[in-house]
Amino acid sequence: MKALPASPFATHLARLQALPRDKADTLLLLASALLVLAPHVAHLPAWVSALCALTLLWRGAITLLGKRMPPSLLLLPLAAAAMFGVAQSYQTLLGRDAGVAMLVLLVTFKMLEMHARRDLFVVVFLCLFLVLTNFFYEQGIGTALLMALSVLALLTAQLSFQFTGAVPPLRRRFLMSAKLLGLAAPLALLLFFLFPRIEGPLWGLPGDAIGARSGMSETMAPGTMANLAQSGEPAFRVRFEGRPPPQEQLYWRGPVLGAYDGRTWTRIDQRLRRRSAQQPPSLSVGGKPVTYDITLEPSSTRWLFALEMPRRLPELDGNSANVSGEFELTASAPVESRLRYRMSSYLDYRLQPAGLPEDADQWLQLPADSNPRALLAGLALRAEPDPRRRVDAVLGRFRRENYVYTLNPPLLGRDAVDDFLYGSRAGFCEHYSGAFVFLMRAAGVPARVVTGYQGGELNPLDGYVTVRQSDAHAWAEVWLPGRGWVRVDPTAAVAPERVRRGLDGAIPPRAPFGIEGLGRFMQLDGTSNPWIAQLRYAAGAVNNGWNQWVLNYTPQRQRGVVERVQSSLLDWRMPVLLASLTSVLLLWRFLLRRRSSDPIDALYSALCSRLARLGLARSADEGPRAYCARISAAATLAPPAQAAAAEFLGRYSDWRYAPRRNDAHLAATLKRLLSQVR
Amino acid sequence: MESSGQTGVQEGAWRTRREARATSELFLGQRRIYILPSGPGLGFGALLLVLLIGSINYNLGLGYALTFLALSCALVDMLLTWRNLAHLRLKAGRTPAVFAGQEASFELQLVNASRRPRYAIWIDSAGAGEPRHAADVPAGGQATVRLAVPTERRGWLAAPRLVLSTRFPLGLFRAWSYWQPDLNALVYPFPEEDAPPLPRGTGTAATGTGGGGEDDFAGVRPYQPGDPLRRLAWRQIARLDPEDGGQLATKHFEGGARDELVFDLASLPPALDLELRLSRMARWVLEAESRALPYAFRLDATSFEAASGAPHAALCLRALALYGLGGAR
Repeated sequence: MKALPASPFATHLARLQALPRDKADTLLLLASALLVLAPHVAHLPAWVSALCALTLLWRGAITLLGKRMPPSLLLLPLAAAAMFGVAQSYQTLLGRDAGVAMLVLLVTFKMLEMHARRDLFVVVFLCLFLVLTNFFYEQGIGTALLMALSVLALLTAQLSFQFTGAVPPLRRRFLMSAKLLGLAAPLALLLFFLFPRIEGPLWGLPGDAIGARSGMSETMAPGTMANLAQSGEPAFRVRFEGRPPPQEQLYWRGPVLGAYDGRTWTRIDQRLRRRSAQQPPSLSVGGKPVTYDITLEPSSTRWLFALEMPRRLPELDGNSANVSGEFELTASAPVESRLRYRMSSYLDYRLQPAGLPEDADQWLQLPADSNPRALLAGLALRAEPDPRRRVDAVLGRFRRENYVYTLNPPLLGRDAVDDFLYGSRAGFCEHYSGAFVFLMRAAGVPARVVTGYQGGELNPLDGYVTVRQSDAHAWAEVWLPGRGWVRVDPTAAVAPERVRRGLDGAIPPRAPFGIEGLGRFMQLDGTSNPWIAQLRYAAGAVNNGWNQWVLNYTPQRQRGVVERVQSSLLDWRMPVLLASLTSVLLLWRFLLRRRSSDPIDALYSALCSRLARLGLARSADEGPRAYCARISAAATLAPPAQAAAAEFLGRYSDWRYAPRRNDAHLAATLKRLLSQVR
Repeated sequence: MESSGQTGVQEGAWRTRREARATSELFLGQRRIYILPSGPGLGFGALLLVLLIGSINYNLGLGYALTFLALSCALVDMLLTWRNLAHLRLKAGRTPAVFAGQEASFELQLVNASRRPRYAIWIDSAGAGEPRHAADVPAGGQATVRLAVPTERRGWLAAPRLVLSTRFPLGLFRAWSYWQPDLNALVYPFPEEDAPPLPRGTGTAATGTGGGGEDDFAGVRPYQPGDPLRRLAWRQIARLDPEDGGQLATKHFEGGARDELVFDLASLPPALDLELRLSRMARWVLEAESRALPYAFRLDATSFEAASGAPHAALCLRALALYGLGGAR
């Protein structure tokens, strides 16, 4: 029995290094495939991941122990069973997720059926495609880094199979493929930004191509907005030209809800409305418009958001925008990928000031037999002749009577408005706006609920304002004679902080313990620590830059880049910059080449030029020996210089024809001899 | 008129470049190297297309990045594959003579003057299927490849037109170049098997004493450099210890000097096929050499005095190889 080695790991390593080449190459390929497959574990069924892990282990054992590969008679039923399993797991073999699972299984089984060099290429190519499929699920910066690492590993594996004789050690092969990747990167970057982008999709996407998304819905019931407000996902990002307007003016208009069934607010069915009412109403504006770019996150809905009040329709690529009678903006196709559009809005506007059209009664309708107490209270308001006073009366009531603004209101019964107004007195924006519009209608003032977003967080590092789902908001519009539709935010009457500082400022901190307290702690509230706020801003800026430049590099954005490049090329500075950069690079290369030339050769040419100055130029066909003989015969040099030159040439000639590289000693001697030739 | 003349010149230049006239040295300049995608390279192109379509269809920003990174890697691979072959210097080496039926071995040297090593360069004669010889050439060094070519007939065998190719580093492209090296292998006639015994004194019948005198053992003399090994007197050598001043000894035969061998083509029956006669003479030369018997050699106008040893044999065999083939070199 052999003695146990001191370090088992070291012996394992040594054994790995001593593996025959084909086995080492196969192990490298296995490791690269593992790197490619690993991120897929996050969304594959557990049994697929386990099967893949087992298969790879099996393959590794076959390689290490030198066993034979399993016969295809065994593999075929196994593959068929796995396929059946996928069909059972996903209830289909089509579609994105099932396809990815099949591909993953295919790659791992192919490992067991690898015989020829051709199979290696098949595995590497399939792995590259698997890297792409991972982007269906995750496209963050970390994924990009993992992609670069996977490509590097695959390149190294592919490279390793190409050697025919000597194989450099793994570290050098890694360096070789890293160099290849480094050479490819600038070209890839150029292609990435300049290759003409096509707005997809090329054909209908499979049903599961886009996962469930949170976003603004077209209905509002108690709890709708509060649910949305729990999500920190960005809804859209805005970049203003110039300074952003103050927070309390940032009302991003979305669906306008006018129909009420006693519990849920919905949009008025557009098909039932008269044609004339579908046209955008008159709008008179004042002041200077605010111009901004919106990058809308995909929402799978048609809603487009803009600051109240947009002056014109946005121009969309491969989609078109419409405006409704309530000044809602919609795209003609659902937004399935990030969408960028440029808008300008007037913060000072009058909507439909001339008078309500004939269908004004639809903004006064209420369900017949619901919320009797609120109905009575509204009717009582009619005693006040000025509609503006009626509005103020309701807002004053919210302000005075200890109403609470909360994300977790108690559940409400069938008469939701009554329960809220006279019972719980605690609610979120949907409660306040809904109750307010109900009271206004009962009081005979045309009113409607406007949903959308309010506010947004400015990142001072990159100037983008991020509007999150948690900024979802509902407010009201009432029509006042001579003034038109006026925005009234009943929530602001209760929680003015909500409008001034956003949700975080309005909701009082809850118990610091428990899940929610922990959640808030993990969010690292920016107001408490400026350092963490800076860090959060920086992360946000990087993430937004990533979204803008990598994930959402749309045809429009590309046009912008190309135009900017063109204009800067026409400008004199850019060509000058390019030219100087090129000359610096050339100079650098030249210097590098000079330095890399052999020092002994350099000394030889120095001697030649010195002798040439002394009238003994070397002719082109003369070797050092012949040159030496001629110098000796000429006898024009002083004897010591001639002796030094002769010794120099003799030594140089010996070195030249029996080269020993990097002879520092010889270089020193030659330098000394050179100094004696004068 | 003028333009057509110019195209004619260009075509001529193209042809000479393409045909790669026989040279003993060749520098693989940029214009000598051809490059096309290999089979896996075409597959990679298809993969790129799939990646691009996937990226467009699902609007994957990172997918575009991966597609263009892979495409750029392929383009860099094309450059590196080309560079792996470009600026290589080829030299024709030595080619030892062989007997017909053996494989002629053409020695080729690949000289790499650049500072980067070159890997996996395949060499074989053009038109052969998969190349069989691969070489790595270290930075600033050289590699020697011996290309074996089967021989069938005597005479000069010119080296085949060679194709040098490489797929290094990624195997997506195949770069290749042609070279007609100025190398010729001398192929001796096939030595006849079961040839008749050496002709004894055929050419000197007048002085011939007949009998087998030349094999008579005549004693031992001190070894002289050049004595064939098989004539060493092992029994005598074994008795003497070199430490005691003993020395090697060579067996001395009397008969060999008295009755020399003469191999003459004319003495062979003319009814025999010429090739068979040459073949038989080649066997005799080998036989005489192996027994270290001096022999004279006559082949029509060519005749050599009796001698033995490798140079003599080479001269004789060369004459046999080139007999009747015209342009003897």
